[in-house]
Amino acid sequence: MEFDPALFVELFTRTFQFWWVIVPAIFLGLVVGAIPGFSAANTIIILLPLTLAMEPEIGLVFMVALYASSRMGAGIPAILVNIPGTAGAAATPLDGYPMTKQGRGQQALAISFVSSVFGGLLTTVLTLLAMPWLSQVAFYLHSVEMIVVMLFGISLIASIAARDTLKGLIAGFFGLMLGYIGADVVYETPRGTFGFLELYDRVPLIPALVGLFAVSEAFAVIEGESILSKRGREAMQKAGWAETFEGVRLALSKWWHIIWTSIIGLVIGVVPGAGAAIAAFVAYQQSRTYSKTPELYGTGHVEGLVAPESANNGVTSGTLVPLLVIGIPGGATAAIMLVVLQYHGVTMGPDLFMDNPELAYGPFAAMAVTYFLMIFTIAPLARYMSRITVVSTTYMSPIIISFTLVGAFVPRQYMFDMYLALAFGVIGYVARKTGYHTAAILIGVILGPLLETYFLRALKISEGDIMVIFSSNLGNILWVGLALSLLLPYLFQLRRAKQEAA
Amino acid sequence: MFDDYFDELDRRRFLTGSAAAVGAGLLAGLPATNAFAAGFPSRNMKVYVPTREGGGADRNLRAFTSIWKKYLKVNFEPSFYPGAAGRVGYEKYMGIASDDGHDLLFGNMGPEVLNWVVKKPTGFNVSDLIYFGQMDRDPGIVFVGRKSKFKSLKEIVEEGKKRTIKVGVSRLAHPATLGILALGRHTGAKFNVVPLSGGKRTRAGVATGEMDCGALPSGGIARRGKNFRILGIFDDSNPMPDLVKGAVLVNKEFGMNLPPLIAGARAFGIKKAAIDKHPANFKILTDTSNKVFGDPDYQKVLKKTKVPMELFTKSSSQAEIAKYVANITKIGEQYKDLLTGKS
Amino acid sequence: MTDENETDKPEKKSVGGELILPAAAFLFTLYYFYTILDVPRIAQVSAFFVGTILIVLVTILGVRIAKQVKAGEADLRLGRILEPKSYIPKRLALLGLTVGFIFFVDWLGFTLTVFAFLTLAMLLLSEGRRKVLILCLSTVLAFGGYLLFIVAFKTRFPQGPFEKLMEGLI
Repeated sequence: MEFDPALFVELFTRTFQFWWVIVPAIFLGLVVGAIPGFSAANTIIILLPLTLAMEPEIGLVFMVALYASSRMGAGIPAILVNIPGTAGAAATPLDGYPMTKQGRGQQALAISFVSSVFGGLLTTVLTLLAMPWLSQVAFYLHSVEMIVVMLFGISLIASIAARDTLKGLIAGFFGLMLGYIGADVVYETPRGTFGFLELYDRVPLIPALVGLFAVSEAFAVIEGESILSKRGREAMQKAGWAETFEGVRLALSKWWHIIWTSIIGLVIGVVPGAGAAIAAFVAYQQSRTYSKTPELYGTGHVEGLVAPESANNGVTSGTLVPLLVIGIPGGATAAIMLVVLQYHGVTMGPDLFMDNPELAYGPFAAMAVTYFLMIFTIAPLARYMSRITVVSTTYMSPIIISFTLVGAFVPRQYMFDMYLALAFGVIGYVARKTGYHTAAILIGVILGPLLETYFLRALKISEGDIMVIFSSNLGNILWVGLALSLLLPYLFQLRRAKQEAA
Repeated sequence: MFDDYFDELDRRRFLTGSAAAVGAGLLAGLPATNAFAAGFPSRNMKVYVPTREGGGADRNLRAFTSIWKKYLKVNFEPSFYPGAAGRVGYEKYMGIASDDGHDLLFGNMGPEVLNWVVKKPTGFNVSDLIYFGQMDRDPGIVFVGRKSKFKSLKEIVEEGKKRTIKVGVSRLAHPATLGILALGRHTGAKFNVVPLSGGKRTRAGVATGEMDCGALPSGGIARRGKNFRILGIFDDSNPMPDLVKGAVLVNKEFGMNLPPLIAGARAFGIKKAAIDKHPANFKILTDTSNKVFGDPDYQKVLKKTKVPMELFTKSSSQAEIAKYVANITKIGEQYKDLLTGKS
Repeated sequence: MTDENETDKPEKKSVGGELILPAAAFLFTLYYFYTILDVPRIAQVSAFFVGTILIVLVTILGVRIAKQVKAGEADLRLGRILEPKSYIPKRLALLGLTVGFIFFVDWLGFTLTVFAFLTLAMLLLSEGRRKVLILCLSTVLAFGGYLLFIVAFKTRFPQGPFEKLMEGLI
């Protein structure tokens, strides 16, 4: 796994020759990423006959490009209509949607795209260089450490609920309890399912996400003419290329932010099963913690959009690391790539780097080239996609309701999931109207099962000894980090108050 | 059974049917008698799969039905009902599937029968479902990561007498889990089985060192030969002597008397009610599915799955299946307390 | 909600609506606890921990609201959740259409149901204006959705008369 410059030059030139595969894959990825219920993973499954028929290298380039661009696509509806295309984009609307409402949709898209592309590009290159070390991360983060990582994500609930902490916490803990619905991972006993078989396998995320964000929003916005305020509408209609480039400039001026939040994504992505949602939440929470202006988060703040988008794209290259190094995929999409590569007789593991370096490093080169080519889509996409927000709610609400309900149906193809989305829509609507944060509920629903799983597993490993959560050195370092990230904002606030008083 | 079916046919249909059957038989290069049952199947076959799309069951189902459809002359439409260790799919199938023979289940007999024994859902009895067409026979095994200090199963058992050994398993109600628990009870070694939800995560748990060893079906581990070592097999013989070297047979090594703990035993299931109502249809299903095993194209699609060929069955016998289900049920009852955490 | 002649006093907040979600959370938590009474201890710890915190939080909120009501700063009417009142019929009708959409999609299939829902919901929201535009839009979207979801992505969405017909034609 030594670094060899000649190999890399050859690799990149070679990958660029596949532009004809990459470009269509980028557009397909943007589309499927933007439709809730679809994802890179299930699109690759649908296109499996096509992918299997390709040469392994071309198939891999195609899948990687689709995967990377779908991450960026998922941010589009999250920003414009408050509907994250996938769970990985669930933290994106926190600051993206307020920007849209102010008529800065174009800017927000540009910021999200720049963060996605540069965050993704940077972490991909980093992964290429740091492969030997990164591959070790999974060996250190076990159940105990993952409990703390989950709590980092969950502590975000307290941050986004800053305006009324009590109500924010109630929303978040309600979400966690809803996330605990289903059969537990050890004894497989169904709990809190109201007798519905469809809930045995936990609350499905897409219907929850679609209901809490899209359906409730569609019911709420019919009061107004469009989802924008009157001022926002005017701003939007006047907006031209200048707005787009202002977005690009704003995002690039936060280059340091892009770097460190995308690295958070990369590290979390390397852990099998952790995924983009947790990375985005942790990055957002960390970004807010160390910000000089934490009170601006949630109001359309640039860093609040940069952090989750850089992080969830940082995850993409990360998930490929355990796949290639130990043959264990880091996420659903990586798992399907594994199937395709195995079909072609490629064996994963350390030997891959000796036997087939172009296949081992190839995915990262393909990802880097994809992100590079995506740079050129930033401006036009941001400029024209954002026009959707001036469409009247008369048309938008019915379209959102029908198509997101369809999206709720797609992943598991249960009619039940459409009713579930509607039920979450009602919860979301009540929450919205009575001052509870829907994002806090969603964070709970997403992270609840993960937290419970790691916790239960840790308890099973320790045979019921609760002190197991403090049993590892790395875990304890993470605990200290967690305590600091919860305490620091208050200390910073105190210091600022003192300075202002002085 | 075939005679009953014959009686059901009216003369007119028989005549046109046999004429068509001869024609179809000639076209397909099959003996004409196969196509006598022109009335069944009259529509596409629907298959309920109690696991996720894209998993091992999906892979095997696609391979088998891609050949089977040639003999049944209709397509197969799988639908996936994952959740609660297969219980969702089973309850859906028993609840909503038709009993005219067009609706089948495709599952993994071992863990799923065991899960029924442990959980006893109220909706149906395990004997309301008859399995047929068993595709694979993949025994449970004990394995360690490439870098593990354990060189043999004996070493693990010895260490287990001094401290608790953490064993990663796919889920509690699983034949491989039963095997390791039985080994512990027999030798006095202490094993703490930790369910990691599926083979993929179990392999990860062992590879990353969070677990001391793991117990899973053999196929997924044997295929990744360089990353793992198989130390013990819960079967009467080593199914892959060329691929799995140095593994012991647990019964022989420790003087135990376990039935073969087949962890991967994927087969079709059909409601007993469907067989009772339409025995002829069931005969068509078993006859045609038995033909699949001998089809040279079937061997080709199996090779593409990359699963070691030794793990696929060459034929399927109803008597073997019944014996297997009875064995698993019996041993499941014996270890029920350990599998439910009630002890 | 506030009476005209009350405007000289500080406005009374209607906080009844704020209790809906915590009440649901509270009841759900109790139900959840009931379903885990029988499971082994280690599988209870996490849920009892989170659930208890939730119940404590809800209790604190209850006390806070009770104090406000007692001090005359707030009342228990539903408040914002129903506002603006002129939109209640429209919203309920839209909810009815949505339930109808899910209910009928099983028989009518994807395309026809989407078409019917879009047309009716848009007519409802536009109060009957721009009928032609709405019909065109619904047709294009329903057919586009059919092409994308059913033809291209092969989603196993319920098939209705339209899908069966198209299948026959293709």
